[in-house]
Amino acid sequence: MTNTIEVKSLTKYYGRPGAGPSARLRAGVLAVDHVNFEVHQGEVFGFLGPNGAGKTTTQRMLTTLLEPTEGRILIHGHDLARDAYPVKRRMGLVPEESNVYTELTAWDNLMFTARLYRVSRGERAARARELLETFGLWEKRDVKAQDFSKGMRRRLSIAMAIIHKPALLFLDEPTPGLDAQSARAIRGLIRQLSAEGTTIFLTTHQIEEANQLCDRVAIINHGQIAAIDTPERLKQAFRRVQSVEVALEPDGQAHGEPLSALAGVTTLVKMGDKWRLYTQDPSALLPQVMDYARSRELRVVSLSTLGPSLEDVFLEITGQQVGTVQHKAEGSKPRRRGMGGRR
Amino acid sequence: MKDGWLQRLQDELAQAWAVTVKDMKVYYLRPGMIMFGLFMPFFMFFSFSVRREMAAAQGVARLLALTTFFTAAAAGPFIIPLERRLGTYDRLLAAPMSLLTLLLGKTAVGAIFAIGVSAVALLGGVVAFGASIAQPWLLAAGVLLGSFSFSALGLIFGSIPARNPGDVMMPSTLLRWGLLFISGVFVPLAEMGAVARVLAYLSPLTYAQDLMNHAVLGMGLLDPWLDIGVLLVSGVLFLVPSVLMHQRSRRLGY
Repeated sequence: MTNTIEVKSLTKYYGRPGAGPSARLRAGVLAVDHVNFEVHQGEVFGFLGPNGAGKTTTQRMLTTLLEPTEGRILIHGHDLARDAYPVKRRMGLVPEESNVYTELTAWDNLMFTARLYRVSRGERAARARELLETFGLWEKRDVKAQDFSKGMRRRLSIAMAIIHKPALLFLDEPTPGLDAQSARAIRGLIRQLSAEGTTIFLTTHQIEEANQLCDRVAIINHGQIAAIDTPERLKQAFRRVQSVEVALEPDGQAHGEPLSALAGVTTLVKMGDKWRLYTQDPSALLPQVMDYARSRELRVVSLSTLGPSLEDVFLEITGQQVGTVQHKAEGSKPRRRGMGGRR
Repeated sequence: MKDGWLQRLQDELAQAWAVTVKDMKVYYLRPGMIMFGLFMPFFMFFSFSVRREMAAAQGVARLLALTTFFTAAAAGPFIIPLERRLGTYDRLLAAPMSLLTLLLGKTAVGAIFAIGVSAVALLGGVVAFGASIAQPWLLAAGVLLGSFSFSALGLIFGSIPARNPGDVMMPSTLLRWGLLFISGVFVPLAEMGAVARVLAYLSPLTYAQDLMNHAVLGMGLLDPWLDIGVLLVSGVLFLVPSVLMHQRSRRLGY
């Protein structure tokens, strides 16, 4: 299998090495810590991590915007430190913020990028038209980007990044803040680009998006790669993170304490009108939940067991927790948050 | 191999021009550019010239030096921090072109703006005050080289890793004002004391003003070839700190 990206012992310290009164300051702040990974040709590679984990720093080093402190990056076999030009010609970048020129029309934005990437004069207009039609912006081609919605700017930003048909596309958080329709359109486009052979490096903290799109994912935490594998294999490795999900009627916060006290529940999370009870043994927990419902004369609207999601794996590795109401079991029950990361 | 080199050179020039044209479309009519690049030199000129005994030609020479200086040097400190804030500068830095190509494209933005504003100032001086041009080719050289040199000077401030134009406009304006008063624009070189004259020789504006004097009045204090040489060399030298500051920002992650 051919590698598009090879990263070897990539390290980045922020700050001025040698400056500052303390040894820590003199060394700088460690953002990426001897990271190694490969991205195979044609795959969608997800790069996940919590805020401040080193995702953006790594991506900025891969796109030549930041110089590594140590380590080596090979893209298409070229060493980025010595021979970045041929890499840049075959690379597209969609940053987190849609960096379109708002004073220019959609057409002018594309024409400028095409000139910057030396798309031949004959190809420019045809390619711009093709992309504007694909992204549903053809009718708006003469409208300045300042009058575009966030989703339209995002689509234009992606169109600008692929006008030169890059073999490698970096996408940084492509869908947050977009409406469902725009997000779905962008995911569809990522699949299409991948099917056409483009290698995609997707930086995201949208776990479900990575689950849907990525052939493999890497999870970075505290500047180190905590896990790399396919989403399904990662889930298999974390079978212990299983859960029982139940919706009760009438619902209410009062269920929190008794449900979390059931034997085997490690963590209880309220998710909308449902309760998710994390456990290592769902089969033992199911009858207890039914008994609880019967004893309180509650109607069980739905009841299901769930395997670990990619989000669960991510949370397990990074030591984070789902951002909804969370009831911790009393006493000394093990807590997911306390399980720590896997390095 | 030669073809590869030539193709690369052709590509880099085309990319620099693409950056220039894009910036002209995006920024020339922005209030910051109009304020600092268009109004400022005229305000300066009228502030220091109204109700003072001065021949029309002398006024035109002074106005031309001011417009090339202030207008050209305004572009870099305004555009680059703004692009950093909007994230559009990363698009340029990640593009397949050298840093020098990008900086040359940015230099041309300020230079062309200054040439345009100077042309308006010249037209006004000739039509309204009946000034005549003694040596047109020296005028062209002065405006072109002065605009290039001062735009490159402005780029140094644009290379400070700031995301707000105001943060770099302040030190940039401070330096420009300082240079203005030591450069023989308001006090002719010939009337300066020895120390002031040494200071004046350190400023590229001195040579631009002297070249304008040659071009419009037909006389200057220095050799016009010296003026041309200094403006050309200073423009090239001013690009060096910009390159170094960009490299430093990339290394330190600013």
